[in-house]
Amino acid sequence: MTLTTQEFAFISGLVRRDAAIVLEAGKEYLVEARLLPLARQSGLPTVSEFVNRAQQRPEPDMHRKIVDALTTNETSFFRDGEPFKQLVETVLPDLLARRASTRQIKVWSAASSSGQEPYTLAMVLNDNLPAGWGFDIVGTDISTEMLTRAEAGQYTQLEVNRGLPAQLLVKHFERNGAHWKIASGLRNKVSFRRINLAAPFPPMGPFDIVFIRNVLIYFDVQTKRTVLQRVAGTLRPDGWLFLGSAETTIGIDDRFERVVAGRTSAYKLRTASKAAAPVSALGKG
Amino acid sequence: MTTQPTVEDLKVIAEQVWSSYLDVDGTSPLLPVAADKKVIDVTASVSVTGAWRGHVLVSCSEAAGKYVGAALLGIEFDDVAEEDVADALGELANIIGGNVKSLLPEPCALSLPHVHIDGSSGRYPAVTEVCHLDGTWRDESVTVTVLESTTDLAGAKA
Amino acid sequence: MLTMVIDDSRAMRLILKRIVAQLGFDVVEAGNGQEAMDYLKTNVLDGEGEIPGLALVDWNMPEMNGLEFVTAVRAEPRLRGMTLMMVTTESEQNQIVRALASGAHEYVIKPFTPDAIIDKLALLGLVPNGVAA
Repeated sequence: MTLTTQEFAFISGLVRRDAAIVLEAGKEYLVEARLLPLARQSGLPTVSEFVNRAQQRPEPDMHRKIVDALTTNETSFFRDGEPFKQLVETVLPDLLARRASTRQIKVWSAASSSGQEPYTLAMVLNDNLPAGWGFDIVGTDISTEMLTRAEAGQYTQLEVNRGLPAQLLVKHFERNGAHWKIASGLRNKVSFRRINLAAPFPPMGPFDIVFIRNVLIYFDVQTKRTVLQRVAGTLRPDGWLFLGSAETTIGIDDRFERVVAGRTSAYKLRTASKAAAPVSALGKG
Repeated sequence: MTTQPTVEDLKVIAEQVWSSYLDVDGTSPLLPVAADKKVIDVTASVSVTGAWRGHVLVSCSEAAGKYVGAALLGIEFDDVAEEDVADALGELANIIGGNVKSLLPEPCALSLPHVHIDGSSGRYPAVTEVCHLDGTWRDESVTVTVLESTTDLAGAKA
Repeated sequence: MLTMVIDDSRAMRLILKRIVAQLGFDVVEAGNGQEAMDYLKTNVLDGEGEIPGLALVDWNMPEMNGLEFVTAVRAEPRLRGMTLMMVTTESEQNQIVRALASGAHEYVIKPFTPDAIIDKLALLGLVPNGVAA
């Protein structure tokens, strides 16, 4: 029932090539769990048989579906809580002072999966920015299936049960049959596009806030470095970066410094006077 | 939106109920296909009154009823007594019925569940079936049915 | 922390009890709002018992339903320390609004996973340090 070494190697080679995701030995269980639904959709009883077909007689789009299935992140509203609390308590007061002339906040939620994170950011900004301030949020992901789901802005009862305060559920969502749909006023502040983090980005930003949480862990160190470098290129010099609770830039990229924010950490670009690494194109004011 | 619930709605509701309480690890889902032998040993139902009137029924085989009891009460299959089945299946009908109610015109109220362990059907005069979901769970038959009352409050045919 | 689990279904009380027990909470059960109020009156208001820090409250119950219970608790200043979370199949938008307006602090729709309850308890600051969903 378990994948052979060759089958696992084929799959890990595929996702490495297409998405720079690293699946080390020991992750066979993950491959099986993620590909089982695809195998069933193709009418095949085991993941092994599915992988064999992918190697020998791939159906159209099969490789893309495999990559999508393995790169999908589980996500939920207000995941981990504290970063969003710090967004309100630490980041917004800082940006309200610095952006007083433009009164616009631009946010990027990378690897946004089914969209809960960008919509969470939209709720937080909507509820905490003073009148007269605007914001827009870009959600990106490598999976077209996830982007379609995120664009719809519609969630099951189980999904809205998780992590979302009831007050915010009734304020920002409307029932749509058995589902809950984000209110159109908020939906209009969020846009989605497809981006492969492992490849050069199209022109984006500059952003005041970037959330790239729980996706860097899948890359090897070199790719992590490259991704952070590209992210730095989209961030305003005084912008804020949030990673997953178990992640850090330390040891990977010197151009960021860690800032303690409540019970979590955020990251900012080192200013020229404190730079430990050579200052690259930071002049984008 | 005042469209009637459909079998697709029942599938979505059942899938969420099963993955929350009866099939937590994903290995024994409710398959939306009729069992080889549709068996109704026990039925739990809730009634809906208000802007819409009718009933939501959850019927299953004796074994399925005991599986529900075992899963919800956290006890062994062999230790499940009749009252355990009644309580567990009643709560299942309550949860499924509540979710069906939220698809109906407002305002509606849900009754407390009633459980019949006698296998009889036809207990609901003056109703039409809106939709039903025939399912197989752990090789046992489980059916969810939505019935709408055909008489108005004064007893006249609608 | 003492938790009240108030639901007319024994199965649902057991499910909720299992979830909060793993957080180390002690549990008192009641089959409807009236039973729960009687407990509070006897043990907390007229007695020396510990005030429950949390109550998980179903809506549709005989004798006194969950909305009535929430309203009654919020009307009693000496029960201010109780966090009230409704756990119910009532999922229409205005039912949730009604519950929150009556004083419920949080709201979970059935069916729910254990994580849903635990995440909401964490949001309310009731999860002991070091215990994560």
